[in-house]
Amino acid sequence: MTAKEQGEGSAGEYHPPSNQLGTWVVLGAAFLMVLSLFSVRMSQDPNSSRDYPSRTLPPGPPASLMAEPEMDEDYWPCSDCHEGEVTNFKVREMTEEHENRAEFSHGTNWCLDCHDAKDRDSLHLSNGELVSFDETWRLCTQCHSNKLADWRAGVHGKQTGHWRGKKEYWSCIACHDPHNITPAFKPIEGKPRPRCPDELTVDGNQWNKDMCRSISKGHATHEARDPEQGEKEDGHGQEE
Amino acid sequence: MGKKNDREERGGTRRDFLKLAATGAAAVSMAAPQAAEALEFDLETFLQKHFRRMSDEELEALIQRLERKYEQKYGKEFNVKATGPVDDVLFGYGLDVSRCIGCRRCVHACVEENNQSRDPEIHWIRVLEFEREAVVRGVNLEEGDAYFENPVQPAPGKMYLPIACMHCEESPCTNVCPTGATWEEPDGIVAIDYDWCIGCRYCIAACPYGARHFNWSEPTLSAEEINPDIHIIGNKPRTKGVVEKCHWCMQRVRDGRYPACLEACPVGARKFGNMLDPESEIRYVMENKRTFVLKSELGTKPKFFYFF
Repeated sequence: MTAKEQGEGSAGEYHPPSNQLGTWVVLGAAFLMVLSLFSVRMSQDPNSSRDYPSRTLPPGPPASLMAEPEMDEDYWPCSDCHEGEVTNFKVREMTEEHENRAEFSHGTNWCLDCHDAKDRDSLHLSNGELVSFDETWRLCTQCHSNKLADWRAGVHGKQTGHWRGKKEYWSCIACHDPHNITPAFKPIEGKPRPRCPDELTVDGNQWNKDMCRSISKGHATHEARDPEQGEKEDGHGQEE
Repeated sequence: MGKKNDREERGGTRRDFLKLAATGAAAVSMAAPQAAEALEFDLETFLQKHFRRMSDEELEALIQRLERKYEQKYGKEFNVKATGPVDDVLFGYGLDVSRCIGCRRCVHACVEENNQSRDPEIHWIRVLEFEREAVVRGVNLEEGDAYFENPVQPAPGKMYLPIACMHCEESPCTNVCPTGATWEEPDGIVAIDYDWCIGCRYCIAACPYGARHFNWSEPTLSAEEINPDIHIIGNKPRTKGVVEKCHWCMQRVRDGRYPACLEACPVGARKFGNMLDPESEIRYVMENKRTFVLKSELGTKPKFFYFF
């Protein structure tokens, strides 16, 4: 098409300006609709991700050891009673003092295998090296070395604080009683169970025991549930 | 009882609803913001963008709006966050099944940390009790009892299996969400934008672990109970009609802290860390312990590993 033909064509046909405007409006609206559809599609794309700024966390100080559990004031410090006395090395049954240790059952060990006879407020390793009561783990892991690697890695025992940052390791005797290791962890009271689905109804709060029992197979103890159980303090000394 | 009466009991007919909607719309369009608040219709929330589509400025405005709103509602100071993931971090969780005693301290620590509704009760963690003898023959999750009660834990002859969100790599729940309101974050946490959840509960049907929970009625949470340390896609207080689940305590772990359930565990059975860090506890578990995931045959690739 040449410029001449174009000129003739435009001269021959007459379009009212209002009509042309209408066409453009329709086209524009269609274009906008396509755009908006596209944006809706984008907003629902599960792969579109938020542009998070780069973040790092400081590594924090080296892991620390939790403070050992409080000593029994009736018995601590040991030197109060034992200082200057002649040590009786004989393995015997305790009748006058430390009766609560009478059921001592930690292998064939005897008090002085761990407690030092000369420095009464210390413990000692099997090679005679003195160990303070703050580092009991060194004593335990002499025999329980298989637990040491796990514990060091933070996998045996409890850690609190930060996965990146300040981390606290709980020591062996925070969970295990060194004088009586069976059971390894003393059973504790459980927290309240979830309500049965039919207990969730507000009306009258009547629940069908049979239905609950069918959900929790083999348990017939649910009627004994104490509503105030949740308010009871647990007598577990290891919580922070 | 007829269908119509049922409807009326539940709070009105379609006509009532339309009437209310019309009044609401009129009030919002004409009246001052105070009137809109009185109607408990929040236009800003209604028009709020998806979390991942918000600009930094919009996010900052949302944080300030939420802090104002919660301070007004609960009468104490709030710290609302939208903390992003940490670089080169992919979270993983380990749980020592041989050590769990079923005391449910994790369950209740989770409720307190993450602002779950107290009534109706929502627990993100369910602890299942199994007969030890039966488990030897093979674990059948349907035999697990979530409603056990014993004088002390653990009960003799029993074993325990706490279950919450597995934060799957191939998460079926995020695939079925029609509004994109749930997705996997770059650090592996499967998160929910509670303001974009429409309550269709497809994700609940899709999740093979029963990890997702629905707010069938308005959650109750008193001012004393609420945890003011809040992440927008984490433990933000939920409303009626949205789905919620474990998010590995996003408000804690993105600041380097351990999740609340881990800290509450008295026996140290729970392990958490960065799977990309060879020095982390979770890597030690994966490399040195016998691990398994639940329902591995479904190919969901959970990042929650049980070990023993």
